[in-house]
Amino acid sequence: MKTFKIVIYLFSIFAITSCTKVIELKLGNNTGELVIEGNVTNATGPQIIKLSTNVPFSNTNTYPPVTGASVSVSDQNGNTYPFTEGPSGTYSNSQLTGSSGNKYTMTVTSGGKTYTATSVMPAVVNLDSLSSMNDVIQTSDNKKVVTVYYQDPADVTNQYRFVLYVNSVQVDDIYAYNDQFNNGRYVGIDLRENTGGSSVDKGIFSGDTVTVEMQCIDQPIYTYWETLMQEQANGPGGSVTPSNPPTNISPVTLGYFSAHTTQSKTIMVK
Amino acid sequence: MTRLLFTFFLIGISFSAFAQKKYTISGTIKDSATGETLIGATVRIKEMPSNGTATNSYGFYSLTAPAGNYTLLFSYVGYQTIEKPVSLHADQTIAMALNSSGSLTEVVISANRPNNDQITSPQMGVEKLNMTQVNQVPVVLGEKDILKTITLMPGVKSAGEGNTGFYVRGGAADQNLILLDEATVYNASHLFGFFSTFNSDAIKDVSIYKGGMPAEYGGRLSSVLDVKMLDGNDKDFTVQGGLGLISSRIKVEGPIEKDKGSFMISARRTYIDVFLKASKDSTIKGSSLYFYDINAKANYHFDDNNAIYLSGYFGKDVIGLKNTFGTNWGNATGTIRYNHIFNSKLFSNTSLIFSNYNYVIQSFLSDNNFKATSKINDINLKEDLQYSLSSKHTLKFGVNVLHHTIAPGDITSNSSSSFNDITVQQRYGFETAAYVSDDWKASDKLTVLYGLRLSGFFLFGPGSFNTYDAAGNVLSTSTYGSGQVAKSYLNLEPRLSSSYQLNDVSSIKLSYNRNTQNIHLLTNSTTSSPTDLYVMSSNNIKPEIADQVSTGWFRNFDDNIFEFSAEIYYKWLQNQIDYRDGAQLLVNEDVESQLVYGSGRAYGVELFLKKKYGRFNGWIGYTLSRTEDKFAAINDGNYFPATQDRTHDLSVVGIYQLTKRWSLSSTFIYQTGNAVTYPTGKYEVGGLTTFSYSERNGYREPSNNRLDIGATLEGKQHKKYHSSWTFGIYNVYGHRDPYSITFQNSKTVPNTTEALETSIFATPIPSVTWNFKF
Repeated sequence: MKTFKIVIYLFSIFAITSCTKVIELKLGNNTGELVIEGNVTNATGPQIIKLSTNVPFSNTNTYPPVTGASVSVSDQNGNTYPFTEGPSGTYSNSQLTGSSGNKYTMTVTSGGKTYTATSVMPAVVNLDSLSSMNDVIQTSDNKKVVTVYYQDPADVTNQYRFVLYVNSVQVDDIYAYNDQFNNGRYVGIDLRENTGGSSVDKGIFSGDTVTVEMQCIDQPIYTYWETLMQEQANGPGGSVTPSNPPTNISPVTLGYFSAHTTQSKTIMVK
Repeated sequence: MTRLLFTFFLIGISFSAFAQKKYTISGTIKDSATGETLIGATVRIKEMPSNGTATNSYGFYSLTAPAGNYTLLFSYVGYQTIEKPVSLHADQTIAMALNSSGSLTEVVISANRPNNDQITSPQMGVEKLNMTQVNQVPVVLGEKDILKTITLMPGVKSAGEGNTGFYVRGGAADQNLILLDEATVYNASHLFGFFSTFNSDAIKDVSIYKGGMPAEYGGRLSSVLDVKMLDGNDKDFTVQGGLGLISSRIKVEGPIEKDKGSFMISARRTYIDVFLKASKDSTIKGSSLYFYDINAKANYHFDDNNAIYLSGYFGKDVIGLKNTFGTNWGNATGTIRYNHIFNSKLFSNTSLIFSNYNYVIQSFLSDNNFKATSKINDINLKEDLQYSLSSKHTLKFGVNVLHHTIAPGDITSNSSSSFNDITVQQRYGFETAAYVSDDWKASDKLTVLYGLRLSGFFLFGPGSFNTYDAAGNVLSTSTYGSGQVAKSYLNLEPRLSSSYQLNDVSSIKLSYNRNTQNIHLLTNSTTSSPTDLYVMSSNNIKPEIADQVSTGWFRNFDDNIFEFSAEIYYKWLQNQIDYRDGAQLLVNEDVESQLVYGSGRAYGVELFLKKKYGRFNGWIGYTLSRTEDKFAAINDGNYFPATQDRTHDLSVVGIYQLTKRWSLSSTFIYQTGNAVTYPTGKYEVGGLTTFSYSERNGYREPSNNRLDIGATLEGKQHKKYHSSWTFGIYNVYGHRDPYSITFQNSKTVPNTTEALETSIFATPIPSVTWNFKF
């Protein structure tokens, strides 16, 4: 229920004399941990599982690939799909196309340890349409919001993740929702790019091309993204104590394995 | 422990059986000018210095002594002591009116004799706020505030800049019992915590108990903040008020019938939203942002032995963005009290108390139209009795029954909205308690205040109640009808506080108390928010339990002008509550599935040096402490510093009467930064740079320090009216205290990350307020 957060966030607009500055902090150095990012989708084409490690906070955002791992995905019918290693820690398989209702198990062996995770691909909920309008918060910036519409099915619990691209660049925000408040409704969800305070060049403006990817995800993966989304929502409304989101990989390591459906639509913002 | 207390009780009572013929003096002590009853004023027999008592919450005292001729001393801080000879050969009533010597235009306060109550009283871990001092302590934006002043006491810590939440001896913010004329105040803050709900114009007395809580208080683990409103002037009509930069206030009081009854109404409203009108942004221009509150009280004394008091509070915060979102929240409380004096030894008070807290959030957008509401309703019936058994024993006993109704969440929407109508089941519970305590003067040197509180909690249907396993999955569901008990808990809470007087100027004290708590605040945000949610103990949530021991050394210097104390405490906490990662708390039927349970411990040393008298007064408080939590799922099950853990906490307050008309004040604070969780690395998932964390609260925010100054200029004394100016500068040297630190992709250097610190009030903030009275 992002709306609650927006209401609380309003106070920052009125904030009396708040100011920000970049500071130097001495942070720990707990790095070199394995990061597994496994995705199986219902789209044809190679399915990709990416292995990397984490780096110190002060490094640049480049993440060392993990090579030489053994990676495979199997389904509940006993079919096993081996993934072959490609460049920069990506492992892929072109035969596998995920289907809704199937349960997939990922197996990764790296550094002498074997990691497994399972995920069930939910049924597809159709991404109906996109629209754009003026943002009602901070109208003076002339920013826009993009609204995504879909009909939520009433008979099951659904979880969604949206990925927003503005002029082909993915925005830094996470959008994860479930149907707790709108089961069975025709739903319109406003996606706005969080500008993180003062930066005015970020955001959606008239003339931008915006693409929205809609993923139908299972419950554990929703909790994963929802946790990351809550940790992003800083500001005067307060923030939650951050932690590594609960992963479905066992033994515990960074990352996730998600079997989800995917569909995209693009809109030219008026 | 319980048996030990009972033995104490028997020994104590049997001693008094051998006593000689004694008589009792009782009565009420008031302010001579306004007729306000004085709480905690002392009555002492000059010839028997150890025989003394203090007035209760209604200004009533009862003192027993052997037959004889004595001189009684009536005294109260800031008032002239009165000596009165009595010939005690029968029970008698003496009503006393004291003159305020601290009349604002007088500099010399010589008649005000310092006493050594701090040495002789068995109560420890208690701080009383003097309202005159509260009015002089400088605060942000000139809005004097008892909660902000309370956090300058040792052992009491502010939850952060611009936040009225406070932590007492390592307890969480919801472990404070905040009472306004006996009614629970659920959300003690306005505007996200920048102001407290207490309008200090309407307040008579503020006490905070950090340990050794008397048995008459219960229901929260860490502290009791007992706030009492003024009764109103029963001699003359007066109007007073103030015009400030962001708010104004007015108070009217006067007699209903002279010397028999009076009323008081006090109100204030902020007008920050006036500044919004100046905004170029059309949405902000049409927005609302304000709060108002009203305190009202009336009392009537039918005769010397019967009096009735009515008091109420109503406050509301409103924040709204034009045609888009709106939210409002507020407390309302009401108290009806009836005092009856059966005889010179037995005082009774019966209270019927109402308390309500609710919030509403509304969205007016067509796609996202909804209205979400949540509320708590309390009805509480209390009977408290005070029986002055003998010169050695004062008994207090009573019962109370408190009924809670909690409506956690309710969403309504129109047909074009994306939202469904959702109603989360209401919950009903009874908190019941019975207590007895004895203030026992065991000898000239030893005083023991001991008691026992039996608290019961009953969760009632109608409703269905899920039981969850450790992972948060539903194990079973039970359905109960109206009036059926779904779950109950009984707890025995022993309380003990004692003082051993080493000599005239020093004593050592020892206390133990057990407290339990059956109503719990769920918030996964670090600041106070209107959407804070309360839940009661249930089949999943066990009552929180705290055991605290403390000991202290109390020493007065320079003819009781300086008071010094050193207290050490250790606290064990059971059944503490935290949340799963990604917990969804709002409007969630299964909210209890989102909780995890653990334990905690807190310990520390508090040093306090206070000068209460003279042209220059003030205090220095220092706390060295540690507060840790332990949850199986967090930090590999090891202890980790709680959010409210502060190693060092120093406050210095000085008030100086410069001339007859000018007084100066200053406050300095230094605090260790909050325990926080910072990233120890970063990685990439979903195309985004994401941070990785290792231990919970393993880092410290930079320390806070701040200097505030204030000055008060009293206007020339006129017959008909009086006025004064209050000036203040908050954060004189513009120190940047971190409000929050966030981690994000750098805006300036591509492909890197940065730590961004947000501060509020990072520059000196001046304020000016004009006060008047006529």
